[in-house]
Amino acid sequence: MTKRTKGDRLLDIFVYLFLIVLGVMMLLPLVNVLSKSVSEEWAITSGKVGILPVGFQLDTLREVISSSMFIRAFCVSVGVTVVGTLISILMTALTAYPLSKRNLPGISFFMVLFIFTMLFSGGLIPNYLLMRQLHLINNLWVLILPGMISVFNMLVIKSYYESLPEALEESARIDGAKTYTILFRIILPLSMPVIATIALFYAVGYWNDYFGPMIYINDTALKTLQLYLQDVVMDASAANAVNKSVDDLMNMSPEGIRAATVVASTVPILFVYPFLQKYFIKGVLIGSVKG
Amino acid sequence: MGGSVTDLNRKSKLQATRIRSASKWRLAWRNRDYYVLLIPGLLFLLLFKYTPLYGVLIAFQDFNIFEGIRGSEWVGLEQFHKLIQSDEFGRVFMNTLLISVYKIVLLFPVPVLIALVLNEVRLMFFKRTIQTIIYLPHFLSWVIISGLFVTILSTSGGLVNNIIQWFGGEPVSFFVSNDYFRSVVVFTAGWKESGWNAIVFIAAIAGIDQEQYEAAAIDGAGRIRRMLHISLPGILPTVVLMFILRLGSVLDAGTEQILTMYNPVVYETADVIGTFVYRIGLGKMDYSFSTAVGLFNSVVGFILIVSGNYISRKLLNRGIW
Amino acid sequence: MKQTKWLSLLLSTGLLLAATACGSSNNTNSNGENASTAAPASAEATAAPGTSENAAKPELKSLNLWSKDDYNTYPLAKVIEERTGYKVKYEMLPADKAMDKLNLLISSAEPYDVITISGEKAVYTDYAKMGALVDLTPLIEEFGDNIKASISQASFDAMKIDGKIYGIPNSSSQFAGADLMIRQDWLDKLGLKTPTTLEEFTEVLKAFKEKDPGGTGNSGAPMSIDGALATTANITGAFGIGTSWNTVDGQLVPAPLHPGFKEYLTYMSDLYKQGLLDKEFAVNKDATLKEKFTSGKIGVIQLPWYDIPGIADALTKNFPDAKYAYLPALKGKDGQMGLGMSGGFDRITFIPKSAKHPEDAIKWINAKLEKETFKLIAIGEEGKHHTYKDGVYSPILPLFTDERGNASNYLTGIDEKLYPIYWQARVQKDARLFAGFSYLNNELPAEARIADPLALAPSLPEYSKNNASLNQMINDFAVKVIVGEESPDAVADFAGKYKAAGGEASTKEVNDWYATVKK
Repeated sequence: MTKRTKGDRLLDIFVYLFLIVLGVMMLLPLVNVLSKSVSEEWAITSGKVGILPVGFQLDTLREVISSSMFIRAFCVSVGVTVVGTLISILMTALTAYPLSKRNLPGISFFMVLFIFTMLFSGGLIPNYLLMRQLHLINNLWVLILPGMISVFNMLVIKSYYESLPEALEESARIDGAKTYTILFRIILPLSMPVIATIALFYAVGYWNDYFGPMIYINDTALKTLQLYLQDVVMDASAANAVNKSVDDLMNMSPEGIRAATVVASTVPILFVYPFLQKYFIKGVLIGSVKG
Repeated sequence: MGGSVTDLNRKSKLQATRIRSASKWRLAWRNRDYYVLLIPGLLFLLLFKYTPLYGVLIAFQDFNIFEGIRGSEWVGLEQFHKLIQSDEFGRVFMNTLLISVYKIVLLFPVPVLIALVLNEVRLMFFKRTIQTIIYLPHFLSWVIISGLFVTILSTSGGLVNNIIQWFGGEPVSFFVSNDYFRSVVVFTAGWKESGWNAIVFIAAIAGIDQEQYEAAAIDGAGRIRRMLHISLPGILPTVVLMFILRLGSVLDAGTEQILTMYNPVVYETADVIGTFVYRIGLGKMDYSFSTAVGLFNSVVGFILIVSGNYISRKLLNRGIW
Repeated sequence: MKQTKWLSLLLSTGLLLAATACGSSNNTNSNGENASTAAPASAEATAAPGTSENAAKPELKSLNLWSKDDYNTYPLAKVIEERTGYKVKYEMLPADKAMDKLNLLISSAEPYDVITISGEKAVYTDYAKMGALVDLTPLIEEFGDNIKASISQASFDAMKIDGKIYGIPNSSSQFAGADLMIRQDWLDKLGLKTPTTLEEFTEVLKAFKEKDPGGTGNSGAPMSIDGALATTANITGAFGIGTSWNTVDGQLVPAPLHPGFKEYLTYMSDLYKQGLLDKEFAVNKDATLKEKFTSGKIGVIQLPWYDIPGIADALTKNFPDAKYAYLPALKGKDGQMGLGMSGGFDRITFIPKSAKHPEDAIKWINAKLEKETFKLIAIGEEGKHHTYKDGVYSPILPLFTDERGNASNYLTGIDEKLYPIYWQARVQKDARLFAGFSYLNNELPAEARIADPLALAPSLPEYSKNNASLNQMINDFAVKVIVGEESPDAVADFAGKYKAAGGEASTKEVNDWYATVKK
């Protein structure tokens, strides 16, 4: 490394200070929910739980994790997330490649076709009818197929492809490589940072999707974790309490249970990021591939 | 290898558009591999995105779910009139635009800054930890986050007001003040999503050729200069892309967020299209009206994306397409 | 090279995760299935009378409201299967957007045999009018002896649409649900008596503010309310608007058109101005309100009795000497008073046209209303789930909660004479909760409770359609006036808006019906 200038040192101070403040601030909500999930109910009710738990106990978490609905939903979610992410990455990476060749005739047109769907959709009812016709209602594939390609993610990859030096492809072509070979042997390996990124986006997207399961899945055994979480959290919302009978209200989950459900259904997906991080924390050495 | 795309890319756009149609077909045929690769994506698009698109017709009907689109009554633009002519539409529309513009102007640069700053961290452990921490708020729903902020900003013992009072200030009722509410909305939105939105820029920085940094270092460029002259231009295409896409959702000022945070006292400044439509539609199942509002938002969003792309192509010589 | 390694890594970890997680869940799955397949066998083994025709009974599909426990695995499912001989597959609606989902299911003719939803009649009426529901009148006549014996004519009448019965209601027990709760120890500390009139109440609030018995400094307030419930129980009663519709000169009048509305808002905005009402009440959600009360910042809140245990726990943990009490119905200047009562229906059960086994569905519902079976479902076995003494059923905990806590989810129609008695076992789950319930509903004189005049009203389409958005309008306006953003004089203006937004049509419809019952 070169000698550190005064400006560099100032920059360092700014960088670390900025990030520490940011980190502390953004750690707050999860810590708060975490503390609530292991605190006693009376302390939550009276707002005593801030950063540290009050009256530490693990019963609430245990109760949530051991419920059969939770376990089943967890397993469905893991399955959908893994399978869905793999399919989506493949489809997206493939589709983005031709679209990055913007000087090919017709590509702009196709691009607009894709972008159009980011804004316009048929809405709930036609989509439901379509899924019915395709026999996808109450079928886990309904959670994957209609969202196989996210145009947003595809644009992210496409923009990355475009930033790769053209010389790479050119020299490969001179060596006689075919388009597919170039894509799989040169482009994709160089695109690990962006593929890791959209893998994360897809995984989180599949994991967090509750609307799809809510609409298209009827069978209790096929419900996903986020739908379960959404149900537990939204059951207590004022809007949904209006038509409840007293018995329903007496049976409502206390806040501790809700916090524990949030924790138990959010923490698993949080591990995906650190795992993928190494693919885009270092940066790519294009030279090494080029050589 | 004349005629390969990579050759063409170097020609200026003007030239490319001037290619006569015959040679266009020839060019396409020579690069047919690319079009073949596009087929699965297009089939997907056709089946799952374009087939159900007839649903927008609901916006021009008085839709009854049991009659279906064929059986429902056509009402022309009545649903749109219902939206635009209601007393509160002017206020609601302005609020939507204001909050959206604030969010774009104030919040859009934050993730870019975070990504640039993170790139300057050499301690890998620290970098990874911070990166993981700042994306955490994204995973909590607005219901939870607004509950938390109500407590933090409360006048009866909230953290922020305790600090204000400690410095001798008057406590501020952030949530029931028309002066502060929008700021709370913008701040909390940034706080929840900035870390998450930074990921795409972090990845873009990782895609920059490391040789450039080394070369610049050898030339004696300091880190600030490297940040401004290599990192920033390196992620500019991603920044432009994100910005143009962001324009598309300008009429969604954060309905879900505001619904969990606002109250009648701040309707004056906080009521946006989404929340307004939510309130008047309560318990009514008015599919036509909500489709019409959605269509209105989409058309505005689409116009903005198309013009954003056009302007960006004129000014920066790059766009999404 | 690189990407294949990466892919295989992701794939293997993913599958590993799935395998470990789902391994355990498969176990529970098969356990669940074992339990349910074992059930018919045991039912036949015990050979309950009348279950000999088991083989001919089809499996029914039932759609229900959301519950945090799976209907299929909750112990009651098995009990019902054994008693009725019908195997039932239960599915449930989501907690949020339940009606959106139901609309999709009904309009696309999903073959449910029984659907039970909340007691709000709007949806039920819609479906019946659209011809999506089976007319139950002949089926009940033929197969529904227990149904006829259990449900009153008045309830059936409320279900009638164009003279036909399409649904079986669970009528609610009528009771006062919420009241103002006060810190009794604060009153005692200041040597004040429990207020009985609105004036005395105001004085108490003033004393709370001036003398600060809770030592809150300036971080609290004497009283707070929920921002979504700006028409406060008990106080509204003192202005003659104890329920959403009140009689004036023999007509039912909604709050915004009632003279008491303006007086109420004037009173509340005065409290707000004087600092007697929480400055930030508009932000309060249910949880914030409880938080403020139990952390000793607020002396008076509105609280339903079913929330008492949680509050009591937290309050006594924080302040071991704290005492709380409900206020009696406060008298207004003309002696008006009252706590609004809830009424109407908890649930409505119907059979969609797309049902495959409508007859069996009715037979099943009928079987569940057989006296012994119904009692078993509602409160379980004597000596095991409950005890019976002096005409009072008391729960045996925790088994009652574990196996009958969700009982109301399984009820499709109730024995209207017996259920209110059974139901009290539920209220007795907690002594503090029961004390609160009992104070409001047994100790206070009858004239302190105002029945909901619309409780047994038939389907009123205009009213049902607009009720939710109109209530939101009323609350929004009330909040604005109370905080002083609008003057109480704006009520007249608001009444105009209210009428235009559907209030006028609702009022007319409600009174057209009211005129027919008054005779």
